[in-house]
Amino acid sequence: MFVDFFYLLRESGIPATPTSFLRLHKALALGLVEGLEDFYTAARSILVKSERYFDIYDRVFAHFFEGAELPDFKGIDINETARALLDEWLKTPDMLADALGISQEQLKTMSPEELLQYFLDRLKEQTEAHHGGSRWIGTRGTSPVGHSGFHPGGMRVGGRSMGKSAVKVALERRYRDYSAEGPLTQAQIGEALKRLRRMVPEGPKDQVNIDETIRETTRNCGEIEIIFDRSLRDRLKVILMIDNGGWSMDPYVEVVQTLFDYARAQFKDLKTFFFHNTIYDYVWEDPPRAYKPHRVEDFASWDRETRLIIVGDASMAPYELMAQDGSIYISERSGRPSMDRLNMLADLFPHSAWLNPTPPRLWPMTRTIGLISQIFAMFELTLDGLERAVTHLMSKN
Amino acid sequence: MHHDSHTRVFTGASKYVLDEELAKIVNISIALEMPLLLKGEPGTGKTMLAHAIAESLSMPLTILNVKSSLKLVDCLYQYDTLTRLNDSRFGDSQRDVSNIEDYIKMGKIGQAFTSDVRMVLLIDEIDKADTDFQDDMLDVLDQMQFDIIEIDKTIKAKHRPVIIITSNAKKDLSDPFLGRCNFHHIAFPDQDMMREILRVHFPDLDYQITDACVKTFYQLREFQGIEKKPATRELINWIRALRTDPDFRAKDLIVGKIPYLGILFKKSPDYQQAIAQVRRLARR
Repeated sequence: MFVDFFYLLRESGIPATPTSFLRLHKALALGLVEGLEDFYTAARSILVKSERYFDIYDRVFAHFFEGAELPDFKGIDINETARALLDEWLKTPDMLADALGISQEQLKTMSPEELLQYFLDRLKEQTEAHHGGSRWIGTRGTSPVGHSGFHPGGMRVGGRSMGKSAVKVALERRYRDYSAEGPLTQAQIGEALKRLRRMVPEGPKDQVNIDETIRETTRNCGEIEIIFDRSLRDRLKVILMIDNGGWSMDPYVEVVQTLFDYARAQFKDLKTFFFHNTIYDYVWEDPPRAYKPHRVEDFASWDRETRLIIVGDASMAPYELMAQDGSIYISERSGRPSMDRLNMLADLFPHSAWLNPTPPRLWPMTRTIGLISQIFAMFELTLDGLERAVTHLMSKN
Repeated sequence: MHHDSHTRVFTGASKYVLDEELAKIVNISIALEMPLLLKGEPGTGKTMLAHAIAESLSMPLTILNVKSSLKLVDCLYQYDTLTRLNDSRFGDSQRDVSNIEDYIKMGKIGQAFTSDVRMVLLIDEIDKADTDFQDDMLDVLDQMQFDIIEIDKTIKAKHRPVIIITSNAKKDLSDPFLGRCNFHHIAFPDQDMMREILRVHFPDLDYQITDACVKTFYQLREFQGIEKKPATRELINWIRALRTDPDFRAKDLIVGKIPYLGILFKKSPDYQQAIAQVRRLARR
């Protein structure tokens, strides 16, 4: 019974659904899985829906199946785990009925105990039919040479060797690079920022409007009059503000730079500004923050629909944020604390997000991070964080 | 739906080198009647796989190339109102203007449903479409039927097509979508696999050249700051070019003299980068 495996996957953070779990059992029932290698592949393709989780899957799989025996189905109690599983299935009865191969009406007449028993029986049936409850590991795959008789006839196999056991394959952790925890890579940023695109009518008039065409044609006594509409083009305005000063941002400058490069290609309407630690009267258009200052007040005349993305570690001495002349640069001391400026920006641009490259577990230790995250929704600068930030930026309110 | 199709097993095609893991996943997906979602960087053969499946199961292949502007209904059927309007005005065609069905054309999904034989339906680059499109499409593929509103008719699939969906995006598709697909990520082939692929494309290629080309190619892929890394397709074209060059010797590659970089690096900043880095390589 793989319920424990399934739950271990879920506890490890893989969003495997109960429906997919049932589907895996359907695959087992169809006799498609002949041994642990097959199970490794089948379970992954059915349960795990992103390569970002492949690495976790490999680890869980290796942990779970290392030297494990196929559990005996006899004497299984309807235990708490199974009951919890059942509760989850019952939230989507139609899918459950479908997966078990019974009608929804039949399903309704069954008590939870009956239903679970039915499910266990089905598992049992297919196990006896195909595997006889024997050990899975050790029966295949441990030989160092390939099992030539194992392939369907004529298959051309390249790459990975057959001799490896699935556990060994899993232990190789081939998918570590795709894991979501990893640092942001160039390609990942590009993909995440793509989500910022939004459709608004801006394109050329090259789409036939059927309804209008028919109306105009009728008005025209049957002489055809074709009416064109504008096609859709995405045009999202974005302001990026980057903290590029100080040693505390140094380790992240390269990541942030990548974000830039991609952002530039992604939008036609992109303005980039720089600041150090936090924002006072000015942000700068040039990276050295010396030649082209831009007054923060001037943003008042900008389009409110513009998305404001601030990238910074939000880590500084509290007075830099709170004090009336908190700036570490004398020329910037205008008498308004940086908090005011940040609040103003948040008001000017209702769609805003702050991306922070430091790991969230460190956030509670820095007071200014807490303060700034009350003004701007703060997300970590990883693929996951970016995704959430983009979702936040695209929400209606 | 034909049950004999269950027994048909995909074992690879003449020009496609099949990873065994992938073969299993394809077979499981066919048996479970689930669409198979393939992800992976460009050049890992996602699209080729559908061609290979079609060839090896001898099913016709139909390809739906997804574009961002695509609407679901266009994939199902098109009601050609303009032709009907034109016919009603000028009336010089064989079609019956009062019969709307004469003006309904099947889209790619419609074709796969109405075909008399089981087809392979490749839905290429699904990530280009928006989430609503993706979910709605999966509804249709789940139910294996759709309605033509204009003539109040339901089109049911005669044979459930084998559905392969590809996505280039690193971003995940929506949960409901993923829930209805089997999933596989094709990693970029390793060097041994690449040699195998080359053997399929160039059966007569001399070992020394294969070795030098593959090694160089993987070296080139390691270059920093390249936006579009060369993929399998580029490697094959590059070798093709090298073979037509009578002056080319495998030794050249080993000493860092790499001709035709433009075939491998197609974007001009990448090309400039590559040239600079090759020079550095040669100097070492």
